[in-house]
Amino acid sequence: MNAAWLIAKSVLIEAMRRREIYAIVLVSTVIIGAVFTVDFFGLEGIVKFYREIALQVMSVATSLTVVVLAARQLPREFENRTIYPLLAKPVSRARFLTGKLLGVMLAAAFCFGLFMSVYLAGALYLGGGIPWALFAQYVYLQMLQFLVLATLAFWLSMLMNLDAAITLGALFMATSSVVSNAMVFVYDFVAPPAQVVLRVLNVAVPHLELFDLSEKAVHSELEMGGVRQQFWQPLGLDTMLSLTLYGGVFAAVYFGCALWCFRRRAL
Amino acid sequence: MDSPVIQVRDLVVEYGSGQKRNRAVQGISFSVADGECVGFIGANGAGKSTTMKTMMGFLFPTSGDVRLFGEPAGTAESRIRVGYLPEVSLYYPFMKAKELLELYGGLSGLSRAELKKRIPPLLERVGLGGKADVLLKNFSKGMQQRLGIAQAIIADPELLIFDELSSGLDPVGRHDLRDVLLDLKKRGRTIFFSSHELSEVETLCDRVIMIHKGRIVTEARVADLMKPLNIFEIAFSLPAGEPPAALAQLGAQRDGAGWRASIADASLYARAVALLAEHGATITSTATRTRSLEDYFIELVRRDEAAAGA
Repeated sequence: MNAAWLIAKSVLIEAMRRREIYAIVLVSTVIIGAVFTVDFFGLEGIVKFYREIALQVMSVATSLTVVVLAARQLPREFENRTIYPLLAKPVSRARFLTGKLLGVMLAAAFCFGLFMSVYLAGALYLGGGIPWALFAQYVYLQMLQFLVLATLAFWLSMLMNLDAAITLGALFMATSSVVSNAMVFVYDFVAPPAQVVLRVLNVAVPHLELFDLSEKAVHSELEMGGVRQQFWQPLGLDTMLSLTLYGGVFAAVYFGCALWCFRRRAL
Repeated sequence: MDSPVIQVRDLVVEYGSGQKRNRAVQGISFSVADGECVGFIGANGAGKSTTMKTMMGFLFPTSGDVRLFGEPAGTAESRIRVGYLPEVSLYYPFMKAKELLELYGGLSGLSRAELKKRIPPLLERVGLGGKADVLLKNFSKGMQQRLGIAQAIIADPELLIFDELSSGLDPVGRHDLRDVLLDLKKRGRTIFFSSHELSEVETLCDRVIMIHKGRIVTEARVADLMKPLNIFEIAFSLPAGEPPAALAQLGAQRDGAGWRASIADASLYARAVALLAEHGATITSTATRTRSLEDYFIELVRRDEAAAGA
């Protein structure tokens, strides 16, 4: 049996049995469910409001779950000394870390899958149709975002203690798009040396907002003159490939850095 | 001649950096041959676990070389034929015993069918029969240790490295474990383990390596080591009451109304008896007592500490 898959399976089993994911989904569902109590938008408005809130809550909750889950994988192994019998088997550290990442991604998919079930149930209940192609792209790009966050959390957890890694990872996740927008906004108003710094940051820090198609998925259709029209088309294949490459490069770099630290670490 | 299963050459391991640098292992060398059972003894902080962790690739040597089956320590290739029990056995609390063994067995390259065949008798063998589907968070420390032994031997490895062998086990557990190890030894497996239970080492090992403050202080076959551990005890009485100065070399101590001398060197026994007769002593009894490995070890450590303090 493949070592990475076996390790991934153990991560998934733990994630499912710890029940944290269910608690997060439950709390988020209650928050999303509160939308149904709002009655000042009319039916069309509430459908969009529900979708917007639900997708945001789902994205934030799953991202946070991924950051916490990924950040604690290695420190917990060190702290509980469970890493010794694992690495005593003929498993390289690279394969071990790959297994951990795969496990975190499977747990993320499980968590996001639960959210999707809740979301789709609500959306179908409210009616209004679902732009399936755009929605599938949204899910795919979200998974790509989780991959970037998971690898970043792995790396952070090798550089600092668990609490600091979770805090920094969560902070990055929450502020990434705001900071990215702010950088673009202030670029013209700062001195040339600072512009160089901003340019470097612009390239070095991933723009997580690129992985968020929720706005398009929510507002894909507009009613114009009594006729429902497709407002946002699904992204083209070249755009999807570019985004995959973009996310993939960041994930590979973060994973490489985490592995480099992990390989050099005395246990 | 076959190359040794374990080969440690001039191993130095340091922790920390700068002024906080601590040299845990200070240039030790030893080897373990195929089929040998070797006990690695030392006080807490002597460098046992550090050496064993370096063998497994968890720690990196500052200098020197460690090889298992001729492969550099730390590579996946060097661990293919090794079963390892860590100093503290803790396992994923949210997994069941069976799942955990499937994980470790799978990582050792066993197929699903093979695992299905091996796990139930293995759990029986380590005294965990009927616990296959119990979550590990419900396992006691001793049960976790038994499971640790099961994970170490699941792939029937040629070399077993056990760090603190019977840690957390009750007397029954230690007895069961001894049976498991004797069976493995009989089947020609190479066993290298550390333990604070020196009676265990006496029973199981062909050879012992004693380490103190990162240095090997004794390396000998158990049989050879036990020979000079015989102590000849002579109880005697003296007409004058106090032993004369000439008898001081016997180191006699008062024992009730008489005196008792312990002589560790067999060659001095006849001389001691002659000396006592010369001074009119009446020998009331003689006996041979075997010092344990523990006595020897404690004496060795104290001697080393006294020498360091001098």
